[in-house]
Amino acid sequence: MNAGVKVLGAGTMNDIALSLAGVDKIYAPMAKKPVHAVMALDLDVRKGEIIALLGSSGCGKTSTLRMIAGFESVTNGTITLLGRRIEQLAPARRGVAMAFEGYSLYPPLTVRDNIAFALKAAKFSARDADKAVKEVAALVEIEPILDRYPSSISGGQQQRASLARALVRPADLYLLDEPMGQLEPRLRALLRGRLKQLLSERHMTSIFVTHDQTEANALADRVAVMEGGVLQQLANQTELKERPANVFVATFIGEPPMNVFDAKVEVGERVRFVVENGPQLDFSANEFSEAARREIAKRPRVTIGVRPHDVRLNAGSNEARVVSNQWLGDQSHLGLEVADKLMVAVAFSEVGAARGENLRYDILGAKLHVFDADSGKAVSHGAAAA
Amino acid sequence: MEHTSFAERILRGALIAAILAFFLFPILWIFLMSFQTNEEVLRIPPSLFFKPTMINYASLITGKLQTAAGSLDLAFMLNLWNSVLLSTLSVAVSLLLGVPAAYAFARFKFPGSEDIAFTLLSFRFAPPLLVLLPLSLYYQAIGLTDTYIGLIWVYQLIALPLILWIVRGYFEDISPDIEYAYRIAGHSWLQTFMRIAIPLARPGIAAAGLLAFIFCWNNFVFALILASADKQPVTVGALAFVTASGIQYGQIAAAIVLSITPTLALALYAQRYLVEGLSLGAVKG
Amino acid sequence: MAQIELKSLSKSFKTGKVLDRLNLTVEQGEIVCIFGPSGAGKTVLLRLIAGIEEPDEGAIYLEGRDVTDAAPETRGVGIAFQNFALFPHMTAFDNIGSALTARGASASTIKAKVEKVAAMLKISHVLSHAPRALSNGQKQRTALARALAADPKIVLLDDPLRNVDAKLRYEMRLELPPLLRASGATVLYVTQDYKEAMAIGDRIAVLIGGRFEQVATPAAIYRAPASVGVARLFGDPTINLIPVKPRATDAGAACEISGATVPLGGAHPESAGRAVLLGLRPESLIVAGEPGADRFPVDVVAVTPLNEKSVLLMRTHDGREIFASEAEVENEPRQPGPAFARFDPARALMFDEASGARIGGRA
Repeated sequence: MNAGVKVLGAGTMNDIALSLAGVDKIYAPMAKKPVHAVMALDLDVRKGEIIALLGSSGCGKTSTLRMIAGFESVTNGTITLLGRRIEQLAPARRGVAMAFEGYSLYPPLTVRDNIAFALKAAKFSARDADKAVKEVAALVEIEPILDRYPSSISGGQQQRASLARALVRPADLYLLDEPMGQLEPRLRALLRGRLKQLLSERHMTSIFVTHDQTEANALADRVAVMEGGVLQQLANQTELKERPANVFVATFIGEPPMNVFDAKVEVGERVRFVVENGPQLDFSANEFSEAARREIAKRPRVTIGVRPHDVRLNAGSNEARVVSNQWLGDQSHLGLEVADKLMVAVAFSEVGAARGENLRYDILGAKLHVFDADSGKAVSHGAAAA
Repeated sequence: MEHTSFAERILRGALIAAILAFFLFPILWIFLMSFQTNEEVLRIPPSLFFKPTMINYASLITGKLQTAAGSLDLAFMLNLWNSVLLSTLSVAVSLLLGVPAAYAFARFKFPGSEDIAFTLLSFRFAPPLLVLLPLSLYYQAIGLTDTYIGLIWVYQLIALPLILWIVRGYFEDISPDIEYAYRIAGHSWLQTFMRIAIPLARPGIAAAGLLAFIFCWNNFVFALILASADKQPVTVGALAFVTASGIQYGQIAAAIVLSITPTLALALYAQRYLVEGLSLGAVKG
Repeated sequence: MAQIELKSLSKSFKTGKVLDRLNLTVEQGEIVCIFGPSGAGKTVLLRLIAGIEEPDEGAIYLEGRDVTDAAPETRGVGIAFQNFALFPHMTAFDNIGSALTARGASASTIKAKVEKVAAMLKISHVLSHAPRALSNGQKQRTALARALAADPKIVLLDDPLRNVDAKLRYEMRLELPPLLRASGATVLYVTQDYKEAMAIGDRIAVLIGGRFEQVATPAAIYRAPASVGVARLFGDPTINLIPVKPRATDAGAACEISGATVPLGGAHPESAGRAVLLGLRPESLIVAGEPGADRFPVDVVAVTPLNEKSVLLMRTHDGREIFASEAEVENEPRQPGPAFARFDPARALMFDEASGARIGGRA
């Protein structure tokens, strides 16, 4: 597929393929209420790396992608691809291939011709183009509909055709905007694996936008979590899960989301968190490193967090009322009433606690995350300081 | 996208100014003409600066035209009133008939619905002169010549197809689920039509009504043949300005300004309802 | 008296038969989840019950009344559409109260009921907004509130949590069942997420190919799925299905997997001599390093994280791909390489290879 790759950039000495520096996007700058969709974004993508832009709707991820593609102008900042500054260039001159969220296939062409369109423009021979189209069509499972027209195929098929069209092109960078949003779960899981294999094997530098963590986790080498136009954290999946940079990332990553509570701090012989309207969590001082203890002690109030899978049930000295107990075939999801909120706990076995009963639970110091109560920034993860 | 250069922006501005001038200049000139006497109008070279006079408007309103040959009676105000009456009533009737029909065409796919709809639209394609002769004979036979009712009936040929086709599109754009939700909540079909379908199609109904009003107002041929002096609208009445003693340009200009005013005012008023955003936000998108 | 009864309900469109002689009985106060792959006809079923579509054959009884030909406004149900269908020219408050105004309730009653249901669904702060000013999640909750506000006896919910963002979706998945039960309504809840169906439903009606393949409690469906189709839909990763032909031995049945003979003990005696599919849920496969009489050899090809579990992609000797899942053990992350897999035969499922139906052998 990339047999005829024309590297359009001058090439770089280091291994960074794409670099965004100080990129801002402001919509309607002259209006009374301009929308600051992306704020001072710095992002470096290595050659052959797969980056996910992850966030809820309106966080700025799609605006960022469109700026890289050239469909939105950059208000401030620079975008560099393989050593070339591209933020002023028209989309067609950037060497970027994009799969759109809204399919955008050309209606008068068959699916096959749609996919082959860019190849013909890049002067591929008919035989090479045909082979490339067949290959990518097999990957996304649309071989049976190659000779149909866009108006006669389903939404999911259109989306896969749009994806195929982007992947078949030789390009320096691949941008995918929610490429599998319309597909049903089983097809998504299948295509995720194949897409990951394709992108990795052929070292295709790619950025894709998604609001689905499972997709980001499965496909990406690193994940950029965005919220409110600001990049919250750019790291691999383990970092994001075990050392989230702030409360937002901590509660955004992970299904079910992390439980968070406001608490007052008492540091002395023991480290004690008194949850407002809730339990008192007591830890011995050596469950935290000295640096972590110091940071925690600086703050009279903090936000503490514990992941649902890390709540140990039928252990410890804390008790809570069971609001719900749902068995999902291979795991139990329980809702416990803690501090006037619902604390979610997950166990990989059935838990014999009925609604309304009291259940004991315990939280280990090694599983506790502490965040600054005002800024939300991480203070400590388990024993170590953030 | 925003890659236009400075030169492109200058060119764009110049082009827009030129187009605006091309379209608006005649209207501006007529407006100025209405405040000039006939002598000033015909002066060569024409000038933008002059002493404005209200004599043209005065003669229209009082109904007396002073020409070189003497005084002439003008029925302009009566013509204006006829235009208002005929256009308003025609549009009212066409809305009353057309909006429910548009709904039927939008929601119920009965056999032949497309053919019937197209036939109704085809009335707009046919030149009025085609039907005028047989129509005038029929009207004479049933005694409808020179009646308001007769004219309003004929004007449906102009207004109904417009209402039907524009409003049908707006009804089709409303997700049927919104109406179902209202009905499942316990409201009857009629309540749903009145409180959901019509309010949501209001921009389309306003636009169609406005267009129909303008087309009825501008109609010349039907009124010319099927009405006599006291029922004539302004379009026909303007012929009176071509007198034996010359064409009264000043009065014509004033008459034009007065004729445009109602439709212009209506358009400005109805603009509010022509706002985009019919079902924006109510259905997942 | 059953609240909802469907008798031999069928519906076809130009594209084909979508619902094929469906039967279902729902008791008062029950929450039944209608679950199935997309395009299975779940939404069509709800629309038939609401009165938006007419069935080609069959009958619908609501609260004992035959409503098959009744107009939608006479059926007294509450419905929440998948695409919200909020009234764009009314505030959220008026949207939610529309069923109450239809019944001619007083302004104070309307206010009380709307505010109560809005508080339950956490949208009190947006009641005065128009739909276009609401986020997708708020719109969905407004649609849900609209369905519940007038305390209808029968509530139809079409995937109401689909567009709610993850954090809120978990909260609502835990809070919605008690909320619905407190209202005493009989609920039909359509979903594409099997976990949601298991969490929310008292029973689940699995709709595949226009028919209910199984209608049972979540536990029964997970442990004793009626067919391969049902088994595949419940479980993440999907259940492993290995074609085997067990034979009878002195110690019970045994089958060949990956070149090894695995005894089934006393389980599945009726499978001997038949071409069957052995159904092994990934969480029931235990992967060990040493060989043994009860295990078969595999090659662990990849280890990927999935929600606090590790999913092992393994290949048997004949190249078949199977999945095992285990809770993440921190200190010894599993490495790819040769290994041995075993399972408890009593927990395994057997399906007839030809028909896909489950063969007994399990409680």
